[in-house]
Amino acid sequence: MGLKDDLERFRDVGEQRRQDLAEFITYGDLSANDQTVQIPIKIVDLPEFEYDQRDRGGVGAAPGDGDPEEGTPVAPDDQDGEEAGDPGEEGAEHEYYEMDPEEFAEELDEELGLDLEPKGKAIVEETEGPYTDLTRSGPDSTLDFETMFTEGLKRKLATEFDETFLEAVLKIDGWGPQEAFEWAREERIPVSLAWLEDAHAGLSDAERTRYDSIADVEASVERTPTSERIRREGIDQIPFRREDERYRHPETTTTPEKNVVVVNIRDVSGSMRQTKRELVERTFTPLDWYLQGKYDNAEFVYIAHDAEAWEVDRESFFGIRSGGGTRISAAYELAKEALEEYPFSEWNRYVFAAGDSENSGNDTEQRVIPLMEEIDANLHAYVETQPDGPTANATHAEELEAHFAGEDDVAVAYVNAAEDVTDAIEYILSTDAETDPSENTTASTRRLSDRLGR
Amino acid sequence: MSSFDRYRARREADRLEAPVREARNLAERLGLDPYPVNYWIVDYDEMNELIAYEGFQDRYPHWRWGMKYDRQRKQDQYLGGKAFEIVNNDNPAHAFLQESNTLADQKAVITHVEAHSDFFANNEWFGLFPKGEDGAAAMLERHARRIREIMSDPEIDRSAVERWMDNVLSIADTINQHSVFTRVIDTDEESHDDLPDDEQALLDRLEELDVDETIREAVFEETEDSEETAAEEAGPHEDVLAYLHDHGKQFDPETERAAEYEDWQREILEILRTEAYYFAGQRMTKVMNEGWASYHESIMMTGENFADDEEFLTYADHMSKVLGSGGLNPYSLGLALWEYVENRANRREVIERLLRVEGITWRNLTDAVDFDRVLDLLAPPAALADVTLDGVADLPDRYVDRDAIEQARAGAIDVEAYPWKVLSYEGLARRHYSLVKPQHRGVLERIGREELERIGRYLFDDDRYGTIEEAIADVEYTAGWDRMREVRASHNDVTFLDAFLTQEFVEQKGYFTYEYSRANEDYRVASNDPGDVKRKLLLEFTNFGKPTIVVEDGNYNNRNELLLAHQYNGIELDHEQAKRVLERVFELWGRPVNLKTIRKEVTERDLEVARRRDSEPEPDEQGLLLRYDGAEVSEESLEWAAVEHLAADAVDYDTTPQDWL
Repeated sequence: MGLKDDLERFRDVGEQRRQDLAEFITYGDLSANDQTVQIPIKIVDLPEFEYDQRDRGGVGAAPGDGDPEEGTPVAPDDQDGEEAGDPGEEGAEHEYYEMDPEEFAEELDEELGLDLEPKGKAIVEETEGPYTDLTRSGPDSTLDFETMFTEGLKRKLATEFDETFLEAVLKIDGWGPQEAFEWAREERIPVSLAWLEDAHAGLSDAERTRYDSIADVEASVERTPTSERIRREGIDQIPFRREDERYRHPETTTTPEKNVVVVNIRDVSGSMRQTKRELVERTFTPLDWYLQGKYDNAEFVYIAHDAEAWEVDRESFFGIRSGGGTRISAAYELAKEALEEYPFSEWNRYVFAAGDSENSGNDTEQRVIPLMEEIDANLHAYVETQPDGPTANATHAEELEAHFAGEDDVAVAYVNAAEDVTDAIEYILSTDAETDPSENTTASTRRLSDRLGR
Repeated sequence: MSSFDRYRARREADRLEAPVREARNLAERLGLDPYPVNYWIVDYDEMNELIAYEGFQDRYPHWRWGMKYDRQRKQDQYLGGKAFEIVNNDNPAHAFLQESNTLADQKAVITHVEAHSDFFANNEWFGLFPKGEDGAAAMLERHARRIREIMSDPEIDRSAVERWMDNVLSIADTINQHSVFTRVIDTDEESHDDLPDDEQALLDRLEELDVDETIREAVFEETEDSEETAAEEAGPHEDVLAYLHDHGKQFDPETERAAEYEDWQREILEILRTEAYYFAGQRMTKVMNEGWASYHESIMMTGENFADDEEFLTYADHMSKVLGSGGLNPYSLGLALWEYVENRANRREVIERLLRVEGITWRNLTDAVDFDRVLDLLAPPAALADVTLDGVADLPDRYVDRDAIEQARAGAIDVEAYPWKVLSYEGLARRHYSLVKPQHRGVLERIGREELERIGRYLFDDDRYGTIEEAIADVEYTAGWDRMREVRASHNDVTFLDAFLTQEFVEQKGYFTYEYSRANEDYRVASNDPGDVKRKLLLEFTNFGKPTIVVEDGNYNNRNELLLAHQYNGIELDHEQAKRVLERVFELWGRPVNLKTIRKEVTERDLEVARRRDSEPEPDEQGLLLRYDGAEVSEESLEWAAVEHLAADAVDYDTTPQDWL
């Protein structure tokens, strides 16, 4: 219908006019909900001659409250209060082009030139496919009647023969059942000797000599092919045989389930002020969306830490701020615990951490790095944000980089300003993309089950 | 887009046949005179589609429909805004009912629709647009088809068409909605077939020489006889679209000059202009129309029990949603105003009767009259309030329909289910008499002294009644409804509000105006004065709530530039948006376009000073010219003399008080 086209046109317009994803990630308002990503469209509706929004003021109603005082602040609500059934008044100033995470992931792929293939893990899912397998036994309700009928029909047809003609053959002078049987054999007519003998016995002498030869019979008696006979006379009975029974059975197809669990770790210690928090949000949010879009099933674990770690939910994740010192290993310990519910054989795992690279003492070397090696994951990442420039003791990221150099399941990125965000995201995601599960260098991931799953 | 279940629709249609029929009967008995209405059962998706298309099934292709549909769907999903009804202005009208609605909802919709149809049929502003032989739906469909043809024409660039349409739609409101719609006749006679011989010869020669277009144009302009050029037509022109149709040119980016419109461009302009005029009627009468429909829906549903007892709660819920949504929604405002119209007319009638009682004058009426007693006398007799077959037969003739009573006696009419069938118009008016309803009981007493005086002064025939009882016995109970029908014929929202939004009304409802305070950077209450409230409301409704833009000159700067002017009324334009509109108008004019307006300036210093004094700075009104020449937008200050004629004199919609904060 016309409207379908118009809706598409609208989406095209929206798509043309919406912000570049890169721009959006860098500057946009990322506080969308989980289900959709809302990207503002630059220009909304057609421009019109209108009053200046502020200058026009408005009318409010305060029944029963007495007259409001002059000068009282007012929150101007929708003064038009249009009913849903009202045709066309332009309303909101901002339109959003909405995409679900899948689309977001696709678009980001295109923009950043990535192509992350979500990895299916070893058999987790057995889906019952269509009922196409046939077995010889099963519950009555799954009897494949068609097959049985077809077999019966074949059987029937195979044993069908033109009785009239055969009787005529028996009437050949000098031919008895034996001769007729031999003739029938040659003709591949499935008549049994017994039948012939019976039929022959039923004939009178005169009939037995009715025809001279087979040629005579063929000339005088019409021979009807099976199909025609059936068409004329119909089929009385189809012989069903037990051995023809077939029962339908669902095919089991195994699809490796594309699961992902993303652990987001954030340093919420005193040093992580507003700017850093924003940068972290800006980096993590698109990553989350991206992974959500790529995988069938995405779960998120949010861990906040200072000197201790605790699990939080998404809403509070970006806002939290505490005042304590910093011990990053606490977070990894908690992460390890949390990930026990998500065994690597069944889940793709991503562990993203972010902070300003501050860490206590030797924590990085002595505890974090070993923990990172212990925790199997598709990708570990650390995002350092130091918008105010490098700090003396903040070396966590550097140490990680030094240690894991060359290993392609650890990515370290630096985000010091909003402009760096897209690069960081690209870097992290492409590190992952390069990694082929079978090439994981971490020994513990080479599980037998993995290889069996291929 | 929808997979529609015909069987369900059929069942629903069957179920609704009786309510539709009876609603029409009742409406007519109440004095309405609607167009015939065709009801259609649609499902949720179709409903949203129809709403997107403004009540019609086929519209020209444009992305805005998609946008509306998207918004509508989201509003529904997230805000629970339910679309109950949609009916279009046509004869016969077409109304669409959502199949999933409850019976109570459907009945509410049907009664509402009948009243809408009556409004379309009788309001003179709708009459400005002649419906044509085959009606509005057919016209819109023709437009749609024509535009689709143009778009699929291989010689025409589709995106150019879309861009053109966007341009025209930007200024679709610059029409003269108060005049009768006339099609723009092509005054452009430059088609080469019609040229006189010598000019034709000249043209041929020029073409042989393969001369540049500009020169050709120049030559032709000199040989033109006194066809009215753009410059000569008197301004200002309110119908900007018509003006562009007659004198506009397109901008040819290749030659960077103005060129004549293509035929398709002219056609599309006229199509969109026509549609703007068609819909203008509805847009100008939104409050009245919705109020009218709500009023009659209420009478029919609750007053006459169109809703069964069980359905009543659903209906009450429905009504509260509709009336309660938003700050100032047209349903509740309209309903309140109609009730006011009714009450005032009824009150006037009663007062006039009372003033004719011996001994009662406008000076002593409020003291001399026991209003409670009057209300008791005015109340409908029991037999009229609760209709039974026996009781109703005893009522005076003017209240009943004797034929119907006979039919009822014969068993053809069910008086219990449809009591109104045995009553006359007058009977129904008395039965639903507004002044005695609990919520309006105070109206009679509240008559103001001024009004009393006014009525008293113009009354002839003093001293006709001996007692109050005698006077009340003569009251015409149909005064309210009769007056309402008069008003519905002649008014539009602006005149409606102007006439009936009185002080009493504003005070009762607690309306106030608010304005933006630059000092505080937020909105503040500005005024409770009913005059101010009315003006502010009128701002929302005059000219569709948009500033009035007219064409002042087609030969501005003596270079065929277009000069538009904003008829300033105390409220500024949105300048940024206006500039973008100018960019589009440029494409419709072909040459630079200008817009004169007035700007309110507040310097930083004024703001500082005001803040320190904890008050609001007073803005300085300055003339402003916005201009687009095809490459860039520019602003220029104008001296006051140039814009004086635009300035607000009669009505100023700015209600910011003198010493505000």
